Amino acid sequence: MTVYRLLLCLRYLQTRYLAFICIVSVMLGVATLIVVNAVMSGFSTKLKDRLHGILSDVIIDTSRIDGFVQYDALGYPLFDPEGRTIPLTPEAMISRIQASPVAGAIEAMTPTIEVFALLRFRLGMEEQTKPVRLIGIDPVGRAAVGGFREYLVRQRGTDKPSFELTPEARQRHEELQRHARLLAPPPPDPAPTISVGGLTIPPPNPQMMTQGMPQPQLHGMIPGYTIAHFRFRDEQGNVSEEPVLKPGDDATVITIGGRDLKPVWGTFIVTDYLKTEMSEYDQTFVFVPLEQLQAIRGMEGRCTALLIKLKNYEADKVRVVEELRRLFCHPEIRVATWEEHQGPLLAAIDIERGILNLLLFMIVGVAGFSILAIFTMIVSEKYRDIGILKALGASHRGVMSIFLGYGLLLGVVGCVLGTLLGLWITANINQIEAWLTQLSGRALFPRDVYYFKEIPTHVEPLAVLLINLGAVITAVVFSLLPAWRAARLHPIQALRFE
Amino acid sequence: MLIAENIYKSYRRHSVTVPVLNGLNLEVKEGEFVSIVGASGSGKSTLLHLLGILDAPDQGRILLDGKRIDNLPQRERDRLRNRTFGYIFQFYHLLPELSALDNVLMPAYIAHSVTAWWRSRQRWRSRAVDLLKKVGLGHRLTHRPRELSGGEMQRAAVARALLMQPRVLLADEPTGNLDVQSGTEIIRLLRELNRQEGITIVMVTHNLEIVAATDRVLRMSQGVLREEVFPYPYSPLPRCLTPAPSAQLT
Repeated sequence: MTVYRLLLCLRYLQTRYLAFICIVSVMLGVATLIVVNAVMSGFSTKLKDRLHGILSDVIIDTSRIDGFVQYDALGYPLFDPEGRTIPLTPEAMISRIQASPVAGAIEAMTPTIEVFALLRFRLGMEEQTKPVRLIGIDPVGRAAVGGFREYLVRQRGTDKPSFELTPEARQRHEELQRHARLLAPPPPDPAPTISVGGLTIPPPNPQMMTQGMPQPQLHGMIPGYTIAHFRFRDEQGNVSEEPVLKPGDDATVITIGGRDLKPVWGTFIVTDYLKTEMSEYDQTFVFVPLEQLQAIRGMEGRCTALLIKLKNYEADKVRVVEELRRLFCHPEIRVATWEEHQGPLLAAIDIERGILNLLLFMIVGVAGFSILAIFTMIVSEKYRDIGILKALGASHRGVMSIFLGYGLLLGVVGCVLGTLLGLWITANINQIEAWLTQLSGRALFPRDVYYFKEIPTHVEPLAVLLINLGAVITAVVFSLLPAWRAARLHPIQALRFE
Repeated sequence: MLIAENIYKSYRRHSVTVPVLNGLNLEVKEGEFVSIVGASGSGKSTLLHLLGILDAPDQGRILLDGKRIDNLPQRERDRLRNRTFGYIFQFYHLLPELSALDNVLMPAYIAHSVTAWWRSRQRWRSRAVDLLKKVGLGHRLTHRPRELSGGEMQRAAVARALLMQPRVLLADEPTGNLDVQSGTEIIRLLRELNRQEGITIVMVTHNLEIVAATDRVLRMSQGVLREEVFPYPYSPLPRCLTPAPSAQLT
């Protein structure tokens, strides 16, 4: 690199104000790409976190509505060496996994039952019915495999979450029960006193029928936050929420039995909410105690899925999944990582991001064309200087490299400014969104559409690096033609140019 | 030292070939100050470009110290233009973005890599400052060309041409754009350089009044050179700068 190339590149950058248009073009392109990538990546990362959290690392589940039954690889009952069938109870499955070579890689396991259901509850004088996904869990076991306790509203972060009612919830429940009794139709007239042979038999006291008997146990329920809340816009246009199911309220779930397709139901009392900020989960998930759901569905000792948390997911996922597929080899039993479970959704996110990047890179392409146009103008302006340099001994390559270096410099300066601008916008995107919303009077990121409180962002250093690299290469490629024209210029022609 | 042998050069304009040089011959001796006069469009500048290997002849040869230089590889020709020849142009041709000092240093900038420059920058800088002082621009080092007068720009161009200690100075109408006083100063400067440092100078001009300062005057006509009658009746130069009678025409 000779001195004059560097000197002239820098001097042209300082003195040619046209070049600032190129810098601004590159800067805006790079900043836009960084912001869009950060937001897309933020959405994607948050979505993946939620999907991963709620699904656990590895899932063994079955497509059968009645859960796991005894299978062997060919669909026949599994027998142990003594000829007894091995029940696929959760305990038996967990024992089998714990006895396998991958037991060391597993941190926690828990069985669940997942089934579609209808949730009925009273709202004012009306009955509301919503379709939900009813999930029976052991709360402590579910918390151990992750993605549960951190999303609970009341018990957030508790070591041992439960379906226990708080005293306030219990009190509310009892009050509701009392009101219900008051509002209930009066009991039928008491039975008449019977006299038989001078013996008078009084009518039975209804309270006597239940005296001394154990009270029915109240079972808790954790519905999704959106199921239990009603969202609306107030007069000022702000989004407000009103609970429709408060802790202590009861709701009935109606689903189908595990042995046959007969409807079954059970009543549960709301104890907490699940708030994942994932609309799909918050408006469909209802957690209830596993044993209770097993009892309602007639599935005692059975489950529909086994959730597994690994100690080191990335390192062990392949090995563990292979071993589990060997252990539970049957077409109706599926062993999959959470990524495989959500494969189409994750693929769609990646494809969407790729296409968006491709389209947005056209902004950098436009910047490239502005470099081409402006460089062509600058080279025309610099005809005489090129002639002088050649007369003083500058080579073709040297002249060409001045303009290529100039393009590179514009690209680098544009990229540095664009990266700073992009990172600043990304860091302050929520304040900018609030300001733009205030300015335009229209919410750019309506919180009732997206269940995230803030616009999620995640800056990936590799993506920033690739964007910068792409922009610099574009700047250099688009300065090639003007640079080549400058290099080919005959010094005599250039010196005659006035 | 510098020889042009049987040079032909023509230009094509709109499918018409315009002959400029027709079998021209010239020999310039070491330390000689030769001026070439002639009407506009007679081919004076073309000859200067050919001598300085800025352009190539259609026929004929250019020799420096007996070695042909017009057909050298591009890299060698670039090197010769940088080290052996110095150019002075009618329109000064300074780079407008650079200061007078940077303009003078430009041939050294072209010749050196960044690392080599870093090692020798003090030496080059002091040489450029000395040259600018010598041409009377010691107080204009940081000034841009637009801040200099025509005469000052031409003096800066002379300093630039001298930086690499060239053996041959090629001056194309160096006073063509200057007033009489500035023109006289430039010619006096060239004469001093020729006398004191022995630089060979080939100057093209159509100003007959300044050629009296040169050793030999040649007239370009019909694409060839002829020796011009000397001396002229009027010379604006002091007697001390009048040339030595050593002109010879080949």
